[in-house]
Amino acid sequence: MPSEITLFEARRIITMNPSRPDATHIAVCDGRVLTVGTQAEFDGLDAVADRRFADKVILPGFVEGHAHVMEGTLWRQTYVGAGDRRSPDGRRVPGLRDIGAVVDRLSEADRSIADPDQLLYGWGFDPLHLGGARLTRHDLDRVSTTRPVMVHHASLHITNVNSLLLEMAGFDENTAIDGVPKLPDGTPSGELQGIAARLRLFRGLGYNPMSGTLDAADVARFGAAAQLQGITTIADLHNDLTDATVAVYGAACVEGLPVRIVPALASVSCPPEDGVARIGRLAAASTDRLRFGIVKIVVDGSIQGFTARLLPPGYHNGAPNGLWYVAPEDLDRIVGVYHAAGIQLHIHTNGNEATEAALDAVEKAQIARPRPDHRHTLQHCQMATEAQLRRVKALGLCLNLFSNHLYYWGDAHHDLTMGPERAARIDAAGSAARLGIPLAIHSDAPVTPLGPLFTAWCAVNRTTSSGRVLGPEERLSVAQALHAVTLGAAYTLRMDHCVGSIEAGKFADFAVLDADPYEVPSEALKDVPIHATVLGGRVFTVPPA
Amino acid sequence: MRRRLPAPATRCPLTVVGGFLGAGKTTLLNRLLAGSHGRYAVLVNDFGAINVDAGLIQDHDGQTLRLTNGCVCCSLADGFLDTLMRVLAEPEPFDHIVIEASGVGDPGAIAEIALVEPGLVLRGVVVLADAERLPGLAADPRLGDTLARQIRAADLLVLNKRDLVDEAGRAAARATLAALAPGIPVVETVAAALPAAFFDLGGAGPDRAWRGSTRLRAEAVPHEEAFQRLLYRRTGAFDRVALERALTAMPAALLRLKGRLGLADRPGMHLLQMVGRRWSLSPLPEPAPDAAELVGIAATDPGIGPALAGLLDAALRPPHIPHGDRTRCA
Ligand SMILES: [Zn+2]
Repeated sequence: MPSEITLFEARRIITMNPSRPDATHIAVCDGRVLTVGTQAEFDGLDAVADRRFADKVILPGFVEGHAHVMEGTLWRQTYVGAGDRRSPDGRRVPGLRDIGAVVDRLSEADRSIADPDQLLYGWGFDPLHLGGARLTRHDLDRVSTTRPVMVHHASLHITNVNSLLLEMAGFDENTAIDGVPKLPDGTPSGELQGIAARLRLFRGLGYNPMSGTLDAADVARFGAAAQLQGITTIADLHNDLTDATVAVYGAACVEGLPVRIVPALASVSCPPEDGVARIGRLAAASTDRLRFGIVKIVVDGSIQGFTARLLPPGYHNGAPNGLWYVAPEDLDRIVGVYHAAGIQLHIHTNGNEATEAALDAVEKAQIARPRPDHRHTLQHCQMATEAQLRRVKALGLCLNLFSNHLYYWGDAHHDLTMGPERAARIDAAGSAARLGIPLAIHSDAPVTPLGPLFTAWCAVNRTTSSGRVLGPEERLSVAQALHAVTLGAAYTLRMDHCVGSIEAGKFADFAVLDADPYEVPSEALKDVPIHATVLGGRVFTVPPA
Repeated sequence: MRRRLPAPATRCPLTVVGGFLGAGKTTLLNRLLAGSHGRYAVLVNDFGAINVDAGLIQDHDGQTLRLTNGCVCCSLADGFLDTLMRVLAEPEPFDHIVIEASGVGDPGAIAEIALVEPGLVLRGVVVLADAERLPGLAADPRLGDTLARQIRAADLLVLNKRDLVDEAGRAAARATLAALAPGIPVVETVAAALPAAFFDLGGAGPDRAWRGSTRLRAEAVPHEEAFQRLLYRRTGAFDRVALERALTAMPAALLRLKGRLGLADRPGMHLLQMVGRRWSLSPLPEPAPDAAELVGIAATDPGIGPALAGLLDAALRPPHIPHGDRTRCA
């Protein structure tokens, strides 16, 4: 018996297929697009008409090329960040704009946890968006003096704890390390930073609350949070991929999960020769919904944390240069091994000195073993100079820029880390597009919220949280930005043959929008509601926010 | 709710080994494991980066070796911390924990762990440098600051691969170290061959190896002519403040000092441990016999015996006249 054909109708279908950019109907069969066209082209087709999206606008399902499954794990805990987010169950969780609101939300969570000794864990705190306000142990003592309370910053590098947890960790006025700063009265403020402080924190708790094992519910929350934003394919771009994790993924990525997941092996988890063998084994276990095969390398830290490696003139405020997470000569070797084995690399470089080291490594690998269409991708690559972008192009690299930084940390980059000139070309998507570099843009969730339309809005408007515009010359058009969150990102994941556009033979993965992103003012791009998604022909609705 | 961690019964010594890629960290660790008899926990970093090194480290009989990975200076540190937590929670405590910093890591950041972890006492930060590459690395715009951060964290510097440089190269390397970390003792080695005694000075304590000696001696360590062993033995107890002053002023040729001594203002014996510039004193559960016995390892230097004896004697508060004649100290 032939499979049933469903004919979806929409007000407009933006296909991202250049030879057929616009349509109104899509025929879907067995999870794939049969054909795309207009009413007249489907006359006589034996199909079940599905007109529920007849007044909607359909795009290819969005592809988030750089996020982390930790987004799913953290939603077990209490969000206390400054920006609005949607939790995986669809609730709108308002951002908190002062310390009092943070304390109130934590207090509410405190009342809902039955076990009086259980850790209360807040995440996403970002003092930059609270006018620099500090959170101290006294604030968290208002939440509880009898239960350990900790709040993780959005940067993931700093933690604040209450007095009880300080005591459990053994920190007091005699503690003398930089990672445990003091209040004017000489007692610890409750802020903890660095590995020594973190070790004592974990020792006091008796476990490391940040390294719990992944379970199927975490993956489900990750997928649900992505679906709400119109995403149908998402990368988990740094994972040890232990056997246990792979098993959890295998069990979770089945019919019913609204996204396809692309986990990247963290190169730091094993020597590259072992990594090549692991990727070989894992790739054989790939399915339509779970795709292994890529490797992530982290070269430096973060710009706002002053741990990114910068070329001269360095940090605008004079801070010392950041940290290599891998030495350039090791980077050469690691890139060389994976490149020679035919594996695609995703290389995190934030500062431009790290970008330079990555360019050098790829150039050496290409000379040693020329390889067409390797599609190695520089991730973040926020400070690349114009000369570096020309090398990116010449070496056949792709870019996945961290456009959400423009909004979230753009003011800090302008004032502190880069100064006005360099901040104006942060995440230089306009230059990348002019040079013809394959381009994606990303959220790095949970570092910033998931939301490809928001990310596109950042790249189109380049507006910071204070309203300043950074480098209008580097803006993308709406069409370029929509391409970057669909086919552009699919290309960087080597999945542009099956996702990222709506064309015959590709997966029937769609984002269904309430309005046409080309018709709304570009400043309103982020506000276009996601109505539903379709994955392999199956419809997943989005609850109204 | 349990509030405080129980106070540890004993404090485990922590040694941090740092140095840029290829400086010889793993060779040194292998020597340390081969030359010692205790139960060691060794945490090696840089798995993905210098896997050759990780492969070289063999599990040593009677010792515990643990591998971990990830850069311990960054957000990827959780695997390292999880391993260290397991080591610290081990029911049978280790005799020594050694952590190898990654080739681009800051050993000082790791050493800070011992400042807040009551179960640990920092024995020292040993940083290796490749004599041949050092001046070039120090001047490298990409790597110079990383290298300087490592070298400044050292209590003891090991200038390794001395055989690969001529006299001018050696002088350049030493000048680089002196500029980055003035006053920090430097020991020159080939293939990271620190004397075995460096790691296991006098076995269980100085008394076993050196009982019967009555004065400070210096003698060449067999097959390790570049080094000499020192013995300092006196009656009397030290003035704590004066002893701290003496230890701070020790000649740079002194690499290691260990032994038992009494303090004038405290009951009982104390164990002195000194690696390069770092020293610690911890009480021993035994009565003070009003005597001090220290052994040391130093670079060969005829003046060091008298210098060391002079500094220590000046801090000694003798209810009794010291044995021996200071001027005759070798
Ligand atoms: Zn990331």
